[in-house]
Amino acid sequence: MVTTYLTRIYSSFTAHVFDIPPRMLALLLFSFLVVLPIGGLNQYVLGILASANVLAIFAASWDLLVGRTGQISLGHALFFGGGAYITALLFENYGLPFWITIPIAVLITTLFALLIGFPCLRVKGPYLALVTMAFPIIIGSIVGWAPLVDIFHGEIGFRGLPRFFPFLKIQDQALAEYYLTLLLLFISSVILYKIANSKTGIVLVSILDDEVASKASGINVTRYKLMAFAISGLFASLAGCTQAHLLKLANPPMLSLSWSFIPVIVTFLGGIGTIYGPLLGAYIYYILDRYVLTILVKIPPEFVYAKLLIFTAIVVILILKWPRGLARFTTDKLQDLEEARDIEERGPKIWKTYKKKKKIV
Amino acid sequence: MIEAIIIDGLVTGAVFALLAVGFTLIYGVAGVTNLAHGSFFMLGAYMFSVFGPHGFLKLEAIQALILATIFVAIIASIFYRLSINPIIDDAVAVLVVTVSVAIIFQQIVLLVFGPGFFVVPPFTSGSTAILGLMTPNSRLVSAVISMALFISLWIFISRTKIGAAMRAASQDREVAMLMGINTERLYMLTMAISAALAGIAGIFIASSTTGVAAASMWLSPLAMSFAIVILGGLGSIKGTLIGAFIIGYAESAVANLVPEGGAIVSVVPFLVMVLILVIRPKGLFGKRIEMEE
Repeated sequence: MVTTYLTRIYSSFTAHVFDIPPRMLALLLFSFLVVLPIGGLNQYVLGILASANVLAIFAASWDLLVGRTGQISLGHALFFGGGAYITALLFENYGLPFWITIPIAVLITTLFALLIGFPCLRVKGPYLALVTMAFPIIIGSIVGWAPLVDIFHGEIGFRGLPRFFPFLKIQDQALAEYYLTLLLLFISSVILYKIANSKTGIVLVSILDDEVASKASGINVTRYKLMAFAISGLFASLAGCTQAHLLKLANPPMLSLSWSFIPVIVTFLGGIGTIYGPLLGAYIYYILDRYVLTILVKIPPEFVYAKLLIFTAIVVILILKWPRGLARFTTDKLQDLEEARDIEERGPKIWKTYKKKKKIV
Repeated sequence: MIEAIIIDGLVTGAVFALLAVGFTLIYGVAGVTNLAHGSFFMLGAYMFSVFGPHGFLKLEAIQALILATIFVAIIASIFYRLSINPIIDDAVAVLVVTVSVAIIFQQIVLLVFGPGFFVVPPFTSGSTAILGLMTPNSRLVSAVISMALFISLWIFISRTKIGAAMRAASQDREVAMLMGINTERLYMLTMAISAALAGIAGIFIASSTTGVAAASMWLSPLAMSFAIVILGGLGSIKGTLIGAFIIGYAESAVANLVPEGGAIVSVVPFLVMVLILVIRPKGLFGKRIEMEE
């Protein structure tokens, strides 16, 4: 009797009080992040949080491309590292301040994304994944190539980029950088979310769901795909430029496969196809990386490789067992839902089959 | 110079054919784009070195080769069973999972063997003069064994009962199941064969050409096999052979003709792959690849 009553209270509570759309949860997360430094965090933690913000932008840009249009890109490090390198080049050769270099770098990277997107998007599925994977490797080896050492500084890369606010005191700098990245994250995630849920976003989802049907409905599929690719490249390169100034360097590892793979990890942690999922995923990633695996477990420096191993294993397990990700799991639990209600909350169905009838000769 | 290119291209082409045919086999039969294919190449080289004459077990070269191949095949079967089998219908999930598994293998190798280069001994010593050029015996032996394995695979697929089952499953999975073929087990066997061939190719390349194994050596063979397979036409074994020789000659030409070519040679497969996909995704022989839904 009492238990039934309590259960009813609980279900009515979840149905009415927690019946808020996930974007409200994302806003709550944001307001939490705004007040977070008031408790007086030290510089190190603020630096990590700033990096988490940057990673969230990066992962959300990957999510817009892959989660919404299904164009799998395993080479997002191209835009990330490319943006970082262009800012560094502009700073070193012309001594420009960051508020000029970053927009120029973002613009150049976006144009480059359009340029390579045009031939690349003719292919799809595994082909696109491998072509996109190849680009950062090619650019990375050009950048690290010995004869070009005068331009790109080889394997060492650029060092000593200026910080964002050199005129402030050290402690204030970290705080200011944190708020700057948070502002960037807020602006970019709002823009990405609006794009993903606008009419354009619906068109993108329709391309993911059935490309032939979208074509038949008179949608210029290539143009929309290219647009998604360019927007994604824009935000990824914004993240790369910001990261370069935060870490004060731009080096070949920023073009490596692991930087292409980190947004995949983060997106799958949060939940693919949601845009707000990667924001949560980025924070979980940094908490796992810098707190659980560094302070709690204390991985010795010679086993630093184990970190990526653990994260990749998490991704595999998530895909196999829990493909909806943590953010959507949370919202589902809060709303007591078996099935998600509409496209915004379930996200597009990312898993789809390609036709695979090949004859062996 | 020209002799070096001819012999280099022949040897590399033969071994690459072995590498790529595994990739095309698992794609053709099970529809799995196995981005972890290069990992089996890398694992083969490491395992050969571990089992081999200077390793922990100190076996003869040929025993080490067989043992390493079996080891790789078993790993591949487990990998198939645990991670690909549950999601085999989801092409995007397969892509992400296989690339994750490739990174996992890389990290495991880094953990166990460390980040440096790992010396892989050649499996025979001595050299023979061909076209007035001293060629190490190990390279010749690897080319001959590769070709022999390639031909036996061809016979296996076209003549035996299991080969017929593979062809049936590649044509239509459901109907093959209705005919009483256990496709799950068949796919696992295909994955094991494909990984074993990649492992043998890895052993040959590491022991006779580069002489070292490194944890990062999965990416460029993967791009290589993808380039070969696309060049020759997906799913076609004949095309794979021709594509492998074309790319083998291209690579040896770059390595021999371009000054400081050694540094660029690792980028060649990626460039070739991008160029083929962007310029002529149908492959050389004009076969239409079914990339539309």
